[in-house]
Order: sequence, then structure tokens, then C-alpha cells
Amino acid sequence: MATSMRGLTQFIADIRGARVKELEEKRINKEMANIRKKFKDGNLDGYQRKKYVAKIIFTYILGYKVDIGHMEAVNLIASPKYSEKQIGYLAVTLLMHENSDFLRLVVNSIRKDLDSNNEIDNCLALHAIANVGGSEMAEALVEDVHKLLISATSQSFVKKKAALTLLRLYRKHPEVIPAAEWALRLVSIMDDQDLGVVVCVTSLVMALAQDHLDAYAVCYTKAVDRLQRLVIEHEYSATYTYYKVPSPWLQVKLLRLLQYYPPTEDQTIRTILHQVLQTIMNNCAEPTRNVQHNNAQHAVLFEAIGLAIHLDTGSPLVSNAAVLLARFISSKETNVRYLGLDTLAHLAARADSLEPIKRHQNTIILSLRDKDISVRRRALDLLYSMCDIDNSELIVGELLRYLRVADYALREEMVLKIAILTEKYASSYKWYVDTILQLISTAGEHVGDEVWYRVVQIVTNTEDLQHYAAKVAFEHLKTPSTHESLVKVGGYILGEYGHLIANDPGYSPLEQFQLLHSKSQFCVAATRALLLSTYVKWVNVFPEIKPQLLNIFDRYRHVLDAELQQRACEYYTLASRPDEDDFLQNICEEMPPFPPRVSALLGSLNKKQGDTGDKRTWIHGGKEANLDRDATKRKTLNMNLTNDDNTSAPPSSTDDIISSLAGLNMTSTPTPSPANPLVSSSGDGSLHLSVAPNIDRWYEKLTYSGDGVLYEDVQIQIGLKSRYQGHIGQVAIYMGNKVDASLSSFTATVKVDDTEALSASFSKIPPNVIGPRSQSQQILQVECKKMFSTPPILTVSFLTGSHQTTSIRLPVVLTKFFEHVKLEAADFFERWKLIGNEREAQSIFPVNLTSSGQLDLNKYRAVISGHRLNVLDGIDPNPNNLVAAGVLHMSVEGKVGCLLRLEPNREAKLCRLTVRSTSGDVAKEVQKLIQKPIVAA
Amino acid sequence: MIHAVLIFNTSGVARLTKFYTPLHQSAQSVVQKIFSLVSTRPAGLCNFLDAPELEQFLGFKGDADERWRVVYRSYATLYFVFVVDGAESELGILDLIQVFVESLDRSFENVCELDLVFHFDEVHHILAEVIQGGLVLETNVEEIDLAIQEAARARKESFASANPLSLGSVGLTPRGANMKTPLGWLTGKLTGAGAR
Repeated sequence: MATSMRGLTQFIADIRGARVKELEEKRINKEMANIRKKFKDGNLDGYQRKKYVAKIIFTYILGYKVDIGHMEAVNLIASPKYSEKQIGYLAVTLLMHENSDFLRLVVNSIRKDLDSNNEIDNCLALHAIANVGGSEMAEALVEDVHKLLISATSQSFVKKKAALTLLRLYRKHPEVIPAAEWALRLVSIMDDQDLGVVVCVTSLVMALAQDHLDAYAVCYTKAVDRLQRLVIEHEYSATYTYYKVPSPWLQVKLLRLLQYYPPTEDQTIRTILHQVLQTIMNNCAEPTRNVQHNNAQHAVLFEAIGLAIHLDTGSPLVSNAAVLLARFISSKETNVRYLGLDTLAHLAARADSLEPIKRHQNTIILSLRDKDISVRRRALDLLYSMCDIDNSELIVGELLRYLRVADYALREEMVLKIAILTEKYASSYKWYVDTILQLISTAGEHVGDEVWYRVVQIVTNTEDLQHYAAKVAFEHLKTPSTHESLVKVGGYILGEYGHLIANDPGYSPLEQFQLLHSKSQFCVAATRALLLSTYVKWVNVFPEIKPQLLNIFDRYRHVLDAELQQRACEYYTLASRPDEDDFLQNICEEMPPFPPRVSALLGSLNKKQGDTGDKRTWIHGGKEANLDRDATKRKTLNMNLTNDDNTSAPPSSTDDIISSLAGLNMTSTPTPSPANPLVSSSGDGSLHLSVAPNIDRWYEKLTYSGDGVLYEDVQIQIGLKSRYQGHIGQVAIYMGNKVDASLSSFTATVKVDDTEALSASFSKIPPNVIGPRSQSQQILQVECKKMFSTPPILTVSFLTGSHQTTSIRLPVVLTKFFEHVKLEAADFFERWKLIGNEREAQSIFPVNLTSSGQLDLNKYRAVISGHRLNVLDGIDPNPNNLVAAGVLHMSVEGKVGCLLRLEPNREAKLCRLTVRSTSGDVAKEVQKLIQKPIVAA
Repeated sequence: MIHAVLIFNTSGVARLTKFYTPLHQSAQSVVQKIFSLVSTRPAGLCNFLDAPELEQFLGFKGDADERWRVVYRSYATLYFVFVVDGAESELGILDLIQVFVESLDRSFENVCELDLVFHFDEVHHILAEVIQGGLVLETNVEEIDLAIQEAARARKESFASANPLSLGSVGLTPRGANMKTPLGWLTGKLTGAGAR
């Protein structure tokens, strides 16, 4: 490239030839002056402009300030010649930043390149946005970028760049991206054939999913599916292996993505995930000679362990991992030791039991003396996370010992961590005071004020401690060189509680005074001021040393420092008052206890959070620290959700008013159930049910029959076959492709409103392609745990040129879990009476007569038995009336009996339906389900 | 996210600086700081380094656990240094450095320090095919090489159309024709075992 610009090559060679800095500067100044002149004269052709801008870029890279060339770069971008355009874009990405005013001038050129038919021009434009795009560009260009990402005609290399560019715009200006609305479309690209595209889209999805967990929930299945294909089925293009590991970056990304979601409930997905993690761990069992191969494999392994810990800290996988990690922390490879400690800290931060980690406590403590500071840091973090009440004395003791020799850079953090651990896991107050004072005397210069404030707070609030604290402070002050923080704590504690030890030998008032005052001369004014306050307190309690104290006040009345002078004057006057005066005594009353406060220490460890960057999935510290953090995170997330969640319609009430008026208001006809009764309340505007009269009809039919068509349009057909037994059922879902092209990125998910009551999961992950004119069968396992009234929703989406999404209700209703029960007339009536009418649901509704003017008794019978109730003949004296009974099976709430009576009346064209059950809710639900197919349209 | 990609030699002269995050101070001072951090580490230590020192240059980063991390690797006379945050896998970045080096090697055929000086623009183009806006764009060396060649061809075509008299001496020649490269270093040697 540069060969085509001889002038540039010469320029670079000249600069390299410059022996001293001055010559280099001279050469550069000369060149810049020349360029400035050329620019001023104008009339440059593209080549010259390119050459000069390239020289400017080079100068800039060398570290010189450049203030010219921006306009020329803007002009180069608009050039039709690629060679000029490329240099122009390079200059823009290097010389400008997101707030540059010049960027306004390039927005239009960038848009032109984005819309260009030439893909490499698209790429240049995308790359520029991804580097310097700010909120202004986001607003102007987000649509164009999105179009390039989802367009069916976009090439892979354009899609990759578009995905990352979109991510950049989201980070800079989240509002411009309707993240929830685009969710399914974006996630569908994770099925792309090209792994490069998948890596980039996964990055994008990962960022968006962190803020919109629900809307992007589908990506969980996609990620697991992709991992399965990479790790277990070895399905990937050979060029994407990196030293024999299939795209480690993608694996790492996917494993990371899964950690942003709570562990899945779906048994099938759990099993697959378990296999994947197991395979990854097994792969690492035998390390090879090749450094790169090991690196890549370990990169995946550590992320896999992270995910295993996230899923379930008690699983056998994690125990295996703990064994592996223990081996790693004594590895010869420094990188491996480093990551081993880091991952163990993750485990410690999450695990219920620290036992497996404590087993290696000695190795970890030894790591504090590793030759590499990076490793020492990780060891410190780990010790901090694994500390609990049992090992706190040992760990804090080790940390204190290490503190004396620790790197300067590490000390401040160590001090803070020691202080927190000491406070959190103090077994006794004595130990607390000992340790903190030890800490202050060892590393005084790193002890922030908050540490010694806290000591004072605790000592003041704990009466038992005061005597002891005064003694210890005194002893620490005796060492020849004491840090100022120690003088402050000592001054405060002795001032308040010195009188408690004054009668013990060696702690007499005079000795206390002499010791403390000997430190005074090395201290700054603020500390001396504190000491003066100590002295005035002593005037009150130690009359025997009053002359010495007065002497000091007197001397300080003439110092230059205003604060000291004022204090001295005031204290002097106060102390010189006659002895019988109790003014001084009142002023120097003992301090009252502080109101209980949260330690300020933790706050200084965890500061601000919350931007659109990827967040960590865990923090250092024990389990509680992580739980707290999760809780606050969820809270803020929920707040965000409710804020931008006015897209979904309010959930319509499914309560049928008519049932409560049964028997009274004969004229009212039940309102036909709304076509769209089940907008999910989850807050992701994407789950709107597909609406069509046929869909309702198909659904209703399937509520009382096992097999049939659930959905059909020009592209797909969905059919069902189902089998139920007790509280469990199997629904085979047939998804047929009716067109002559493949449905790619096929996704089928089932969403259950209340997972406590009903579970539904596919027995394996649905395939992501359905070939032309072929069918895919999926088995859905359902289990009824408790009474439920909202059926699961099946969402099917796929790509055929454009992205299609269909959401429909699955006819998995409460009555599917009924079993027949045989009852004789006497039995029936006895139970009927026993239940009584409190737990009864009754309704009266109009019915249509058959063409011959008769009641459609066969249909009624079919509906009732289709709802799996046993129609009992010969019980009701009226042959038109139907009586039925059944038992509902639920795995959690157990069995619930249910009796039913249907009384149609031909003359009135009305029908009365009465359902009695041991559970009122069940009665209501059954009544609603059975009435619906019978009621007149 | 990757916040910076730097290449400097063992004397601390920067050969490539690319920042994906606005800087609070001059690029030179950041490079100097990182050089002083990295160059003092003897061989045999790990390739990762916590760098709270960088907060003054790159801004304060989240809570205590979201420190700036430096992932580096040295190849002969050059240090390749990536500054990343807690969201990146350290080993993944190490692999990425290797991919970048291999890509440079593909384009320049036995890349050497001088290539980075004289073809600084090309180095930036190659980096742009690996990392975009601080995120991994492509990790497949074949794909990266393909994209570079595609761009080179486009450049050549457009250049040729503008300079009908140039006799095809353009395009991506590995090295200036008359440039001797005394510092040749073999990537084969570097990419093999033992490279750090």
C-alpha cells in the first residue's frame, strides 16, 4: 500500500533516519508546514490528498499533536476510489472521537456507503461507526445498520460487522434500539451457518439480553443447541478450529451468555448442558504439548467451570471442577495458576459449602508468595472470598503477616480487605481490636480514615471492650515509630477511656501523657488538634497532670495554625476555671454510643455500577455478597422493565362474570371469550398471540379431543397428537413445512405462565431447519402440579426470506389431567350433597338446536367425555340431562374429585351447567372449559 | 470489551496504538505506563496483569472487581498488549493475540517490525478485520486474510484506474522493494511451542 505513495515511504524513512529527537521534530515540522500550505492552496487531486492525509496519520501515530487533515479526510471518504476512501476512513477512526464536530460532516457519506451495493464500502462505513459512532450517529444510522444485519442478501462479512456496529450503537445510545421488538429476529441469526457471524451476533445478543432477559430468553436454547453441536456433535467448518479447538471464542461467549440467565428449569436443556460441560471437562483431562492448544482448551474450560458453578454449586460437575482447580493452583504454568485461583474465587463466592476449597487452604496461602504479582492478587481475592467465621483468624493472620512484605500496589486493597474480614468474622471483640491496631501499626500509610473511624465506633459502642482497647492502644503506641493513624486512634481511645486503666501499674496518667505527647511533634496539625482534645478530656479525669496539660495549652496559644491556636485558647480557658466549677466536667462527659451504622468499608470496595457494558456475573466476597448484589440487580432490572413496558396490552380478565350470576339473570348471554385473551404479562411485547377465527376453532376442538390440527397457514401446519395419564402427558407436535424452501433458524418454544402449576418442556431441542415439504415431530412433556387456568403458549419462528413468528395457545388444559371414575346413583348423589353448593360453579347459557330442532345431545356427550369426565348413565331421571364424574390428578396438590350435571332445555334454548368439586377453583375452571364448546355462538 | 490494542518494541517505542475507549490523557503517556508495567515483568510470569494504575488514563472502571486488565504476549522484539475489562476471558484474548499475529504474518509473509512501521495503514486494516469497536469480529485467519486481500484488490483496481501508467507495482507487496529488513524474525519460530 505504502509503496504506492513514494513520498510517504520517504517521509517514514527520513524520520527513522533521524538520530536525535530534535532532528525528527524538525523533519516533521517541515512536513506539516508543507502539507498545511498545500491544503491552503487547494486544488489537490485525490492521490495527493490521500498521500498527505497518510503522512498526517503517521505523524499522529508517532505521538505528535496534529490539528490538520480532518476536512481532507472527510473529502477522501466521499471519494469513489476505494484506495482513497480507505485512507479517509482510517483517518476518521484515528483522528476523531465520538464527540468530534467533524463527524457531523461524514454522516451523509457514511450513509451513502452503508446503502451502497458494494459490500466492501459497506464494511468501511460499518467499521467507522463501530469506532467513532456516538449518539448522534446512532439516531441517524441505526436503521441502515440493522437493515444490513438482517437483509437476506447481506454477505457474512457484512453481517458480522453490522452486528458489532449495532452493539456499539446500543452501548452509546440504548434508546434508539427497540431491543425487545428485534429480539427474535436477532436471536435467529445465532443459527447462521457462518460461525464468524454467530460469534458477532452472540456478542450483540449477550449485551441486549442482559438488559432484556425475558425478551431474549430464546437465546438460551439457541446457545445450548450451538454448544451441543460444537462440543458433542463436532459440527462446524474446519477453518473455525483454532489449534484443534472448535472456535474457542464462540464457546466462551456462549458459556458466558448462559451465565446471565438464571439456571434453566427445563430438564431437557439441563441434561444437554450437563453433557456439554462434562465433555469440555473431560477434554482437558490430558494436557498436550502445544501451548496454543492448551490455551484455547483452558479458555473454554474455565468458562465452562464458571457456568457449572452458576448452574448449581452442589452438582457433581462442580466437585469434579474443584478437583481440577486444585490441581491447577499448583501448576507450573503461571497462567494456569492465575486462572485456577480466579475460578476458585468464583466458586467460593457462590458455593454453599467452602469445605472443598478449604482443603487447599495451605496451597492458596502459599500463593500469596508466588513470584508473580498477578497470581498474588488472585490469591488475595480468593482468600478474601473463602474467609468465614471458622478460618478468619488464620486467614487474617496470614494476610497481616504477608502485608509487611506485600507489594506497594497491593497494600491499600489488602488493608481494606483485612479490615472488612476482621469486622465481618470477628470471633471476639478482643481479636477485632488486636487485629485492627496491628493492621494500623503495620501498614498505617495505607489505612484510610474509614478504618480507624470504625474502630472508634465499635469501641465506643461496646463497653466491655473499652478497658482492653485502651491498654492495647497504649502498648502499640510504645513502639518507636508509630503511624499517624495509630496516634489518632490512640489519642481518641486514651482520651475517652484512659482513666479506666490509670490505676494499673505502668499506665498511670503521667505515663499515658508522656507517651502520647512524645508522638505529637511528628504529627500534622489535624492530629495535634485531636491530641489537644484528648488533653482537655484528661484535665477533667486526671487532675494530677493538670499543670503539664495547662502548660501545653499555653504554648499552643501562640502557634501559627489557626485551628490549633483556637483550640488551645479555648481549652486553656476551660481548664483554668476554678476547680469547683462543673462546666468542664459536663463538657467532657463520656461519648454516648453511636447509632448503629452500616460499615463504610464495604462501600469503598464496591463503587458505582451500571452502564451498558457487559457486567460481571459474580463479585468477590462470600455468598451473601453475591445474593445481595443479585437482589439489587433484579430490582433495578424490574424497574427498567416496568418503565419501558407499555407496549403490551393489559392482561384481560378471564373471569366469566356470568357464572356468578347463574340462575338469576336468564337473559344475559355470556360474552364470547375475546379472541386474544392471553397476552402474556411477562413484559416482552413479542408474545402476541396470532389471531384468526380458525385458530380459536382449532384450539377449542383440541381442548376436548386428543389429535388434530392446531394451526395452519400458507407456510406451515402444526398438528397434535396427545396422550395423558394421571398428572403427566405427552403431546406430539408435528410441524410441517408446506413450501418448497427450507425453513431456517426454526425455533419452537413453549412458555408456561405459572411454572409452579404446570411444566412443559420438549424432550429434545427442536431442530433449527425444516426441509422443504417435510415435517418435524417434537415431543412435549407436560406435568400438572397444581390447579392452573392458563394454557401454555407455543411460539414458532423461522426464516423464509423474512422472519415469521406465530404464537398460539396449546390445548393443554386442566381437564386433560382428569381420569374417569365410576359412580353409582346413590354414591353420586351422596357426594353431590356432601360438596354442597359453596364449592359449586354454575352457569346458564343459550344453546343452538340442531337443524331438526332438537338438542344436540351427542355433541354434549362428546364434549364432556372429551374433557375426560366419565358420563354416567341412568343416574338422572331426565334422559336429556347428562351427569358425569372424574378425578383430577396433580403431582403437588394431589387428587381432586369433580362432579358435573348438564341440563339442556329445548324450549328455552338454554342450558344449565353445574359443576361441583372439592376445590372451588377446579369447579369454576371445568365449568368454563365445558361450557365454551357448547354455548351458542 | 477490548479497550486498547498496542504493539511496542522492547525499547518502548509504540508501533501500533489503537484505543476503543476515549482517553483521559495522551496516548503516549498510556503507552509509557503500560510499557513500564509490562517490560519489568520477567519471563515466566503469567500473561495477565491487573492494572489499577490505568484508571487515571482510561477512567474509573466499575467496582473493585472490574479492574483494567492487561493481557500481553511478547514475540521476539515486540510486545503485543491488549487492555481489556472483566467481561473478556483472559485466555481468549491470549488466543486472539495469536490470531492477530498470524494474520499479520499471512499478509506480510514473515512479518517484521519494519513492516509495522512502513505499512502502518495496512496493520490498522488487518486489526480492523480482527477487532471492531473493541469486540472480536473474526477469529478465523483464513477469513481475515480473505478480507484483506479483497480490500487490497479493490484498492489496486481503484488505484490502477486513477493511474493508468503505473505498471502494476501496486497492491500488497510484502515489503518496500528496496527496503532491507535486518530485523527479520521468523514467525514459524514464534508461533511454535515456547512462544509467550
